[in-house]
Amino acid sequence: MSSYLITIGTMIAIQAIAVCGLNVIVGFAGQISLGHAAFLGIGAYTAALLATKAGLSFWMALPLVVAVCGSVGLLLGLPSIRLREDFLAITTIGINFIVEAVFRYVPFFGGALGIGGIPRVMFFGMRVKGTSFFLLCVAFLCLTLAACWWFKRSWAGLACAAIGEEEQAASTMGISPVRFKLLAFVIGTGMAGLAGSLYAHHMQFISAGDFSFSVSIALLSMLVLGGMGTLFGPLVGALILGALPEVFRPLVDYRMLFYTVLLLLVIRFQPAGLLGEESALRRILIPFVKGGMR
Amino acid sequence: MKTGLLETRGVSKRFGGLKAVDGVDLTLFSGEILGVLGPNGAGKTVFFNLVSGIYEPTEGEIFFKETRIDGYAPHAIAALGIGRTFQIVKPLKSLTVLENVLVSLGVARYGRLSRIWGPFRSARQLDAAMEVLEKVGLAPLAHRKAGLLPLGTLRRLEIARAMVVGHTLILLDESFSGLRHEEIVSLEALIRTIREREGRTIILIEHNMSVTMGLCDRIVVLDHGRKIAEGTPGEIQSNEQVIEAYLGAAGVDHAP
Repeated sequence: MSSYLITIGTMIAIQAIAVCGLNVIVGFAGQISLGHAAFLGIGAYTAALLATKAGLSFWMALPLVVAVCGSVGLLLGLPSIRLREDFLAITTIGINFIVEAVFRYVPFFGGALGIGGIPRVMFFGMRVKGTSFFLLCVAFLCLTLAACWWFKRSWAGLACAAIGEEEQAASTMGISPVRFKLLAFVIGTGMAGLAGSLYAHHMQFISAGDFSFSVSIALLSMLVLGGMGTLFGPLVGALILGALPEVFRPLVDYRMLFYTVLLLLVIRFQPAGLLGEESALRRILIPFVKGGMR
Repeated sequence: MKTGLLETRGVSKRFGGLKAVDGVDLTLFSGEILGVLGPNGAGKTVFFNLVSGIYEPTEGEIFFKETRIDGYAPHAIAALGIGRTFQIVKPLKSLTVLENVLVSLGVARYGRLSRIWGPFRSARQLDAAMEVLEKVGLAPLAHRKAGLLPLGTLRRLEIARAMVVGHTLILLDESFSGLRHEEIVSLEALIRTIREREGRTIILIEHNMSVTMGLCDRIVVLDHGRKIAEGTPGEIQSNEQVIEAYLGAAGVDHAP
C-alpha cells in the first residue's frame, strides 16, 4: 500500500477510536456532547508532555493518558451531568473552547507553537511507523470496539441505555442517573485519550487548533452518519467522512457544503444512521452477518 | 404499639404557595393492600412521588422498615425493595418488553461497581424475565419494542417492572385507568395473586370504585393534600366527609 493510503487509514483508525468513545456517551447513554475534541486534545497533550518532558515511552504513558482523560472527563462531567439536555450541549461546547484556549495560551502547553518533537512509538527497540503504526492503530481500534461490544452487553450498558430512554423510570429501577452518566463520560473520554495519544505519536507535532470545536463537530457527524448507539457505526462514519475528502480532493472548496448535504440527507432519510435500526444498509447487511451488527 | 412496614409522619410537600400534600400520617402494615382515594388534584401522585423519592418532603418523616428514607434518591429507595408504576406510563421505548424487565432485574446490582460488568443476557436472567412476563401475561410480546405497544400492555409492563423491583412494597399509580373490562378483571386477579402467593404489600391509587372497594383491605382518602378519612371499604363508603369531597356539600343550595 502506498504511504498516502497508509496515512489516511491511520487517521481514520484514530478518529474511529475517538468516535467509539463519543458513541459511549451519546449513543449508549443518550447524553449529548459537542466537545469531544477537547478530550482528544487532553489525551494528545498529556501523551506529548509525558513523552517530551518526562521521557516516558508511549506504552508507559498510555495508562496514565487514559486515566488523566477519564479523570478530567469525570471532573468536567460532575457539574454538567446535572444539566438538562440543551444546557449540556452548550456546556460541552464551552468545555471545548476553554480547553483549546488553555492549550493555546498557557506556555506550559507550548502556547501557539504547540508541542513538537514527539518521538515515534517504540516496540521492542523498533520504531513503529508507516504500515506498522497503521496496524497498531487498527489493533487499538479492535480493542476499543471489543470494549464497546462488552459494554453494550453488560448491566452497565443496559443501565446507560435505560437512562438515555427515560431517566425517571430508570431511577425507580435502582439506576442512579448521575452515577451511570459519569461512568459513560469516563469511559468515553478515556477512549478519546487513547485516540489522542495515538494522534500525538502519529503527527509528532500537535497544536491547539487540532482540537477545535469543528473537530468535535466532525466526530459527531461521523457518529450520526454511521449510526448512534450501534457497534460499528463509528467505524463506518469515520471511514466515509475520513475517505471522502481524499476521494473528492478536486472539490475541496465545496467540502463543507458536501458534508452538510450528506448529513441532512442522513438525518432526513436514515435518522438512525447508516447502521441504525431499520436502515437500508442494515437490511442489506443483516442476511450476511446475522445478528453481528447489534 | 405495632409498627408498620411504611410509616409517614406529618409528611407535607409544598410547591410555592400550594400544599400538594399536607401533614399526612399513614401506617402501612406488611401484607395489606391499601387504597389511596381522592378527587383529581388531591395529592395522591405527589404522595407516591414522596414515598418513591422523586420528591423530597418539605416537612415530615417517612420510615420504611423503621429506617428513615425521606431524602433518599429514587434509585436508593428502589434498592430497598420499593417498586412503582407511573400514572403516565414510562416505558423504555426503544427497548423490547423483555429488555425492560431485564433492566429491573438488575436493581440490586446498579449500586455496586463490581457487579455491573457481567452480561445481562445470561440464561438465568432471561428465564427470570420470562417468568415475570408470564405472570403478567406479556410473554408472547417479549420481543416487541415497548414503544409500539398499546396502553393496556404498557400498564402490565410497568407492573412487571414494579413487581421485580418491589419485592417488599409495590406502589401502583392508576394502573387500571384506560383498561378494558376484561383487562381490569385479569389485573385484579394478578394483584390478588401477588399479594397472596408472594406476600407483597401494595398501595394503589385508583379511581375505579369497584376495583378499589373489591381489592383493598383499607382505604385512605386524600382531599386538598389532607387525609380526610381512613378505614375499611365499608366505612369509607358511608363516610360523610368522603361523599362531600367527591360530590360537594349537600343541602346548601336547596336550603329554603
